[in-house]
Amino acid sequence: MLTLPLQADPATVAEGVNLLWVLVAAFLVFFMHAGFGMLESGQVRSKNVANQLTKNVLTWGVGIMAYFFVGAGVSALVAAVTTGGSTAGAFSYLNGGSTVWANWLFGAAFSMVAASIVSGAVAERAQLGGYLVFTVVVGALIYPVATGLTWGGGFLAELGFQDFAGAAVVHMTGGVCGLTAAYVIGPRIDKYDEDGSANVIPGHSLPYAILGTLILAFGWFGFNVGTAVEVFQVTDGGELALGDYAYAGRVALNTALVMGAGSIGAAAVGYARQGKVDTLMTANGLLAGLVSVCSIAAVASWSGTLVVGLIAGIQVPLVFEALERVGIDDVCAVFPVHGSAGLLSALAFPFVDTTSAFTVSQLVPQIAGVVVLGVWAAGVTLLVYGALKAIGWARVSRDEEIEGLDAAEHGIETYPEFGKNVVNDVTAPGRPPEGTPAADGGEVTDDD
Amino acid sequence: MTDIELVVAYVRPDRLGEIKTALAEVGAPSLTVTNVSGRGSQPVKTGQWRGEEYTVDLHQKIKLECVIADVPATHVVEAIADAAHTGDPGDGKIFVLPVEQAHQIRTGATGTDAV
Repeated sequence: MLTLPLQADPATVAEGVNLLWVLVAAFLVFFMHAGFGMLESGQVRSKNVANQLTKNVLTWGVGIMAYFFVGAGVSALVAAVTTGGSTAGAFSYLNGGSTVWANWLFGAAFSMVAASIVSGAVAERAQLGGYLVFTVVVGALIYPVATGLTWGGGFLAELGFQDFAGAAVVHMTGGVCGLTAAYVIGPRIDKYDEDGSANVIPGHSLPYAILGTLILAFGWFGFNVGTAVEVFQVTDGGELALGDYAYAGRVALNTALVMGAGSIGAAAVGYARQGKVDTLMTANGLLAGLVSVCSIAAVASWSGTLVVGLIAGIQVPLVFEALERVGIDDVCAVFPVHGSAGLLSALAFPFVDTTSAFTVSQLVPQIAGVVVLGVWAAGVTLLVYGALKAIGWARVSRDEEIEGLDAAEHGIETYPEFGKNVVNDVTAPGRPPEGTPAADGGEVTDDD
Repeated sequence: MTDIELVVAYVRPDRLGEIKTALAEVGAPSLTVTNVSGRGSQPVKTGQWRGEEYTVDLHQKIKLECVIADVPATHVVEAIADAAHTGDPGDGKIFVLPVEQAHQIRTGATGTDAV
């Protein structure tokens, strides 16, 4: 057989393929925002749907600006400062050129996953303005410091802290921010009776919530497998060889299996207690499973992954109920799904790592990592949302909350055809100005 | 007063098809239905959201309105009752009310001609 030499520079091939993969993965992670939007809007009442969707869209809107102009640079600064490195060039990515920007986008998509988690915890009562201020803080400070200390090479990385796709860096950080914000803001008006007993407030659309769950799961393949970011590397001998892609199949398998284990774990708890499989809890369990594989996906065996995923699913209802008992109204269960499942993943790492046997010295940096990241996220959230609360930006007024945030903050009725149908009634009190179209489904024209 | 009567029935949603057939058979096919929720003797149900149970004490029913002129109300009531009956609590109730006036919008007919 005739062997033809590759008429291309291996470095160019490697760079091209690696760029293609990092961009595809970034687009998949971006699509997770559609998942968050559907998941969260399905879990709120119909009077708060447009508000929840607006928060999801503007999380990217203001968050991506914060991460581009400030956050990515802060991450590099934190890494340099905590390890005594040089801070010069921390913001050089702003004019870094095409390849730098492609890699920046992958990191940026991750940062916005962390930011997006918060809106689900504070749903149905958080004021839009205050929420957006907090999102800027997440994108410019909270998340970048977390990555600077870890993936950027900061002091947690030097300690030996491992978090492959960000179970702690992204999900636990976002989950703790959400939990703390929900604590500061306080529960929804209808959530607790005067005697402290909790009420169930069903959301308006289970189909949205499940669609969102599965969109998130799809994007998660980009989140996890994309973290194996380098397809090819060029060896010292100048030949192409697999880079991170040498273990990408393991990451993909573990990602697929863990969502199954998580959903089964959560479904089993519901079935054991009520004799029924609860749809939303099962979906939450699937997501908690996905969070729980993020630290370990590249090194865990499939059996280790299944055990961790099962625990992640089982803990969702238990942690959610514990929060409810202490008076924290986490509307979309973001702490059980992202926070505690992320904690589980980071701590499970030394137990399931197939590349080295368990040692206490491997567990210590994992504990240090989750403590530092958790305290950091909770501390800044307490300060920022505490300040927002002090100036009245944290939550809407009682009347606005009762009427719904769609009407109060946006003047929108999400499902107008189910509402009041004023057919251009000239006698209606408080009628809008002449020429304002009426919601009768027909065209309103002014002939004058 | 006219000889017009309004039969109002609150029934199980799944009985609607049978009721429509029964009403047509007694000569009173015209009707209006509305989705409603209400409570009577039917025991409360348990709803569930993310594994947490809550009480549902208003049940989904259909409100059926049937205006009649030439057909005896007893026939209409019997037809609905037979078609809606299951024997379990929550089958519903039927009320008959006198109607003061009727007006058909298309033709302008009034009284029993309008029904």
